[in-house]
Amino acid sequence: MVPLLLLLATVPQSSSPLTVSAAISLSEALEAVAAAYRVAGGTPVVFNFGGSNALARQIVNGAPVDVFISADEAQMEVVEKADLVRAGTRVPVVANRLVLVVDSRSRVKAVTDLGVAEIRRIAIGDPVAVPAGVYARQYLERINEWTRLQPKMVPVANVRAALTAVQNGSADAAFVYATDARIAPALRVVATITGPQAPRIVYPGAVVRTSRHPQAAAKFLEFLRTPPALAILEKHGFTPVTDTR
Amino acid sequence: MIALAFTLKQGDFELTIDVRLEGGVTSVFGPSGAGKTTVLDAVAGLRRPAAGSITVGNRVVFSSAEQVDLPPHRRHVGYVPQDVALFPHMNVRRNMLYGRRPGQRPDLPVVARILEVESLLDRGVGELSGGQRQRVALARALMSSPEVLLLDEPLAAVDVELRRRILPYLSRVRDEFGTPIIYVTHDRAEVAEFADEVVVLEAGRVVQHASRAEWRDTSGPMSQGAS
Amino acid sequence: MDLTRITLFTLAAAVAATAVMVPPGLFLAWLLARYRFRGRVLLDTLVSLPLVMPPVATGLILLMLFAPRGPIGGVLGRIGIDVVFTWKAVVLAMAVMGLPLFVRTARAGFEQVDRRYESVAATLGAAPLRVFFTISLPLAAPAVIAATVLGFARALGEFGATIMIAGSIPGSTRTLAVAIYSFAETGRDREAGALLIVSAAIAFGALWLSTRLTSRNGLRA
Repeated sequence: MVPLLLLLATVPQSSSPLTVSAAISLSEALEAVAAAYRVAGGTPVVFNFGGSNALARQIVNGAPVDVFISADEAQMEVVEKADLVRAGTRVPVVANRLVLVVDSRSRVKAVTDLGVAEIRRIAIGDPVAVPAGVYARQYLERINEWTRLQPKMVPVANVRAALTAVQNGSADAAFVYATDARIAPALRVVATITGPQAPRIVYPGAVVRTSRHPQAAAKFLEFLRTPPALAILEKHGFTPVTDTR
Repeated sequence: MIALAFTLKQGDFELTIDVRLEGGVTSVFGPSGAGKTTVLDAVAGLRRPAAGSITVGNRVVFSSAEQVDLPPHRRHVGYVPQDVALFPHMNVRRNMLYGRRPGQRPDLPVVARILEVESLLDRGVGELSGGQRQRVALARALMSSPEVLLLDEPLAAVDVELRRRILPYLSRVRDEFGTPIIYVTHDRAEVAEFADEVVVLEAGRVVQHASRAEWRDTSGPMSQGAS
Repeated sequence: MDLTRITLFTLAAAVAATAVMVPPGLFLAWLLARYRFRGRVLLDTLVSLPLVMPPVATGLILLMLFAPRGPIGGVLGRIGIDVVFTWKAVVLAMAVMGLPLFVRTARAGFEQVDRRYESVAATLGAAPLRVFFTISLPLAAPAVIAATVLGFARALGEFGATIMIAGSIPGSTRTLAVAIYSFAETGRDREAGALLIVSAAIAFGALWLSTRLTSRNGLRA
């Protein structure tokens, strides 16, 4: 409560909205957080959701963004390497887990079942750079399934596209985040990826160095890490950042 | 025997005709706009009459009462339009052979000889003079063994001198093949020289149907054709 | 990335798409050029739609039709034919996007053919199909060839609809255009640049050929 009051005291009265580029898996959760932020007297926020790799490229190419929240460290590195992260503002925001989803009629029971003929196409974010796809590939490589399953992989632009592919039947299975599976109750979660071989999924956030509203941006980023915001994020299935998996 | 008994509407224009032709050469004569070409189009199947019937030889090619309307390719007519319309992408020989039905006479050499186009057979269509084009078009129509020849002002675009030279070919066609000919013209001299029967059209109506002899005696000062 | 493989696949798919679009394209061009019938304007509009709508919108419609749960995709699925996310979807997207361009250009060619030739051919005993193949098509040939080249060029450059129903699967649906997008999106700029050059060179060649064919015969498409 006290941090919140401090926040309210220091937020400037500017009415120009903040532009926040955030990983697409954060869509519903962040909209809810921004609404709460507004109610608490914070600046309005305009979101630009997409695959984190696409967002990073946009920032590197000069897109006027105030805050960037990526689904993995690698894409934040891309922005950091281009000297576009405001010093001292890079922080871990929230964590997530990877799951395997299939159509509710499918007979797949485990990740190792993906080799059966019934599974013709597996949708994942492009494993070259889309975080959800990179995480999936890391995991499958660690359990020695990547080479066998690669011919079935359908790389798509972002994790929600992977979810949509299973929903409309163009793919038989997809690796998405636990938070995405929650908005698609018609699909069945075969497995939640945990354990020593599971990827550690942490979403870093930072203020973009070229932001026109660095103070307001920093305030919003701070708000994300306060209990009220975390409560909203957890309600959507995200988990707090810890060192355990 | 050819029987034409139909009405045909085209916008504001209406053509009504009811004649029986004996064969030989029938000239359809009249001023421009009288509907002469429309008669040929109807016989060929390129325009559909509103009502009536058309009989060529012993075949009914059109009858509104019996719901018969043979498409042009089944009517066995030989049409030579006013602008001749030789196929530009074929040479003379291929033009002439286009309508040839397998196993039917006449032969290419025979027709070519009668119309004196033997030396032109391998020429392109663009290399021909006006008179030559007329003869090739006639030959092409004849090669399809038609039951009636439809000629639309075949001499209209040709000078006087050339006309005198081409008319004998038309006579030759009549004599050697015996195919009935319907010959559209607005020129009195052509009618006088070539026709066996005359059908006079004016504003879509038949005002006279007579043999050539009768027509010469009774014809009035109405035609504006050049002589 | 295998530049040769991507290029060859794109060319092969564009050739297949052109082969797919020509027969219905000729039929439609002929129909629209020669006949008046009820629904003609509707047909003309439908055929031209992919030309004017955003390609991704056309792609979305195709996806709704051909996805395994869609009306056409479902029927094909029952006889074992998979369309979305396979090379068939690539050819389909290319053909659908190229067809309107083909029809437009071929139709202009047919309209230029004097109907007198067709009438005379009919009186000489040629049935409509024979008239089409011996008179109309040869006389409209320059425009039909130009239409084919244009349809092929459009197929080559197709992206929006392709990415919607075929995705960008390396080795099986990754065309030049789609590969450029994927590589650019994932930061592989060097590879994207190489593909860009190949793509531009092919498009240039196709358009140059088409322009030469139409201007030589005095026809502006």
